Amino acid sequence: MKRGGLQGYIIKRLIYAALIAFGVVTITFFLLRLGPSSPADKYLANMSARTQDPAQVVAAIEARYGLDKPVYEQYIDYVVNLARGDWGWSFSTSMPVMKLIQRHWVYSFQLILLSMLFSASLGILIGIYSAVKQYTRTDYLATLFSFIGISIPNFWLGIMLILVFSVQLGWFKTFYDTGLPMFSLANLKALILPVITLGTGMMAGYTRYARSATLDNLRKEFVKTARAKGLPERVVIGKHVFRNAILPVITIIMFDLSGVVFGGAYLTEIIFGIPGLGRISFNAIFAGDYPVVVTITLIGALVVLLTNLATDIVYTWLDPRIRYD
Amino acid sequence: MNNTVLEVKHLKTYFFTRSGVVKAVDGISFGLRKGESLCLVGESGCGKTATALSILRLIDSPPGRIIGGEILYHGEDLLRCSSERLRQIRGNRIAMIFQDPQTSLNPVFTIGDQVAEQIKLHLRLKHKPAMERALYLMEQVGIPQARERMKDYPHQFSGGMKQRVMIAAALSCEPEILIADEPTTALDTTIKAQILDIFRDLKQERNMSILFITHDLGTVAGIADRIIVMYGGRVAEAGTALDIFDQPKHPYTHGLFNCLPNISAGRNRLTPIPGMIPSLIDPPEGCIFNPRCEHRMPICSEERPKEVVLSGEHFVACHLYS
Repeated sequence: MKRGGLQGYIIKRLIYAALIAFGVVTITFFLLRLGPSSPADKYLANMSARTQDPAQVVAAIEARYGLDKPVYEQYIDYVVNLARGDWGWSFSTSMPVMKLIQRHWVYSFQLILLSMLFSASLGILIGIYSAVKQYTRTDYLATLFSFIGISIPNFWLGIMLILVFSVQLGWFKTFYDTGLPMFSLANLKALILPVITLGTGMMAGYTRYARSATLDNLRKEFVKTARAKGLPERVVIGKHVFRNAILPVITIIMFDLSGVVFGGAYLTEIIFGIPGLGRISFNAIFAGDYPVVVTITLIGALVVLLTNLATDIVYTWLDPRIRYD
Repeated sequence: MNNTVLEVKHLKTYFFTRSGVVKAVDGISFGLRKGESLCLVGESGCGKTATALSILRLIDSPPGRIIGGEILYHGEDLLRCSSERLRQIRGNRIAMIFQDPQTSLNPVFTIGDQVAEQIKLHLRLKHKPAMERALYLMEQVGIPQARERMKDYPHQFSGGMKQRVMIAAALSCEPEILIADEPTTALDTTIKAQILDIFRDLKQERNMSILFITHDLGTVAGIADRIIVMYGGRVAEAGTALDIFDQPKHPYTHGLFNCLPNISAGRNRLTPIPGMIPSLIDPPEGCIFNPRCEHRMPICSEERPKEVVLSGEHFVACHLYS
C-alpha cells in the first residue's frame, strides 16, 4: 500500500514535469524567435560568404531551415521534431544540437558535481561543528565567514581568485585547459578555482542551515535519551542529531541546484573559459541560435524537475514519517 | 543500613539565565538503597527533574551547571569522574526514563534499533543477538507482536507503547538503578496504571533501585518505599511512605494532600495551596515556603529552617518542629 502510494506519486510528478518542460520550451522558443534578429544573420557572418548578395544568402538560408515560415509553424515544426528526438541544428556552430551538447555537457557536469560535493560536505560539517560549539570562538568565526561567503558575488570572487592565485602567485592557469584528460589530477587542479568560485556562496548557505537545524535538534528530548544510554558524543551527534538535521539542508541543496545550473555555473564557466553548457548557451544567445538555447534551458529545467522528484523519494527513507498518499 | 547504592550529597544545580541565576537544586541530600523505590515529589519547577538529570550529568549546559555537591555511586563521585567512565555507567548501571515518550524516541530510527542500541554498546553484542535481546525485552514489558513492531517507527506507536519501549531500552543492560522522571505524567489514566504495574514488578523481580520522580502523590502511593517532598530546590520533608502518608508534618506536605480527592474523608472540595511557586531566581528569605504557609511565624522569613529528625528516617525542614 505504501509502495503503491509512492508509485502513484511519482507518476503524477512525472506528468507535471512533462507539462512544465513543455511550458519551458514554449516560452524560451517565443522569447528568442520574436526578437528582432534572425539566426541567419549570424550564420551569414560566420560563413564569410562575401562574394554573393547578403540578402540573397539570408533568404536561401532561411528557406533551407524553414525560418521564412510564420513563427507558429516554426514552433510546431520545432516541437514535433523535439518530440521525435531531433533537437535541431545549431546555426552558429554548424552542427546538430545533439552533437554540440554531447561534446560539452561533461564540462558543466564535472564543475557542478564537484562544486556541490565541496559545498555540501564542507558546509554541513562546519555547520554541525559550529552548532555543537555554539557561542565559542570557532562558532563566531564560522558565522562571520559564512556571512562573508553569502555576501560575495561569485563572478567577483572568481576574478579575484584568478588575480591572486593565477596572475600574482602563478599557481594555476588563468584559463581552463580543455586538453587535459577528464580523470586526472591536473584536471582536478584546473577545477579548483572554478569550484571555489561556484561553491563558496552555497557552502556558506549550507553552513547556516546546517547550524540552525543542528541547534534545533540538539535541544530535542531524544538527544538526552541518547546521552542517557551512554552513547559517545560522536554517535549522539553523528547519528541521532545528524539524521534529523540533514533533512532541511537537503531541501536547500536541491533547491540551490536550479540556481547553480541556471546562474552560477554560467558565470563561472565564462570567467574561467570552461566550454560547458553555460558558455555554449551564452554564445548561442548572442548568436540568436535558438535551438541551442532552448535545448540547454530544457536540460536545466529537466535536471531541476528530476532532482526535486529524487529529493522527495530520498525523504521517504531519511524520514519514515513522510509518506505520499 | 549500608547497602546504599547511590548517595546524593549537598547537590546544587543552578541555571545561569539572562534574567538571573535560577537555583533549581539548592543543596539536596539523599541516599538510595538497593532494591528500594524512592520517590521525589513536588510541584512543577521545584527541582525534581534537575535533580534527576544532575545524577547522570545530563543538565543542558549552558545554561545549567552543577556547582556543588557529590553524587556517589558505590562511593565513586559521578560529578568528578571522567566522561568516559560516566558513559560506561549511563544506560548500563544507571538507566533513565523520561517524562514524554512522544519526544524521547528518535523519530527516524526503528524501535528495534533504538532498544538494541545500548545493548550493542554496553554488552558488546553483535546486531543479531542484540536484536534478539531487544525483542525479549519488548515482550517482557508487554508490547504485543513485538517481533513485527520492532521494524516500526516511533510515530506508529501510541504514547503508552512508546513508554514501554523506553522502559525496555532502559532495562536492556539490567541496570542497578533506574531513574524514572515522571514516566506516567504524559499518559492517560488506564495506561498509567499499567506502566506503574511494570515498575512494581521490576522492583520485586529484579531487586532494582528506583528513583521515581512525580508531582502526583496518588502515583507515589502505589510504589514508594520512601518519599522525599521537595520544595523550591530543597527538601521539605522526607520519610518512609508510611511516615509521609500517615503523619505528614510539613505544611507543604499537608497542602499537597489537601489537593488530592479523598472519598473516605467525605471532602467535597479540594483545597489548593494558596499562592504561586516562588521564583527561584529571587527566592524568599528564610524558609522558601513561608509566603504561602498558613502557620507562618516571624522566624520563618528570617532563618532557613534546619532539618529536624522526628523519628527514624522521618525528618522535616520546618521551624514549627525546631
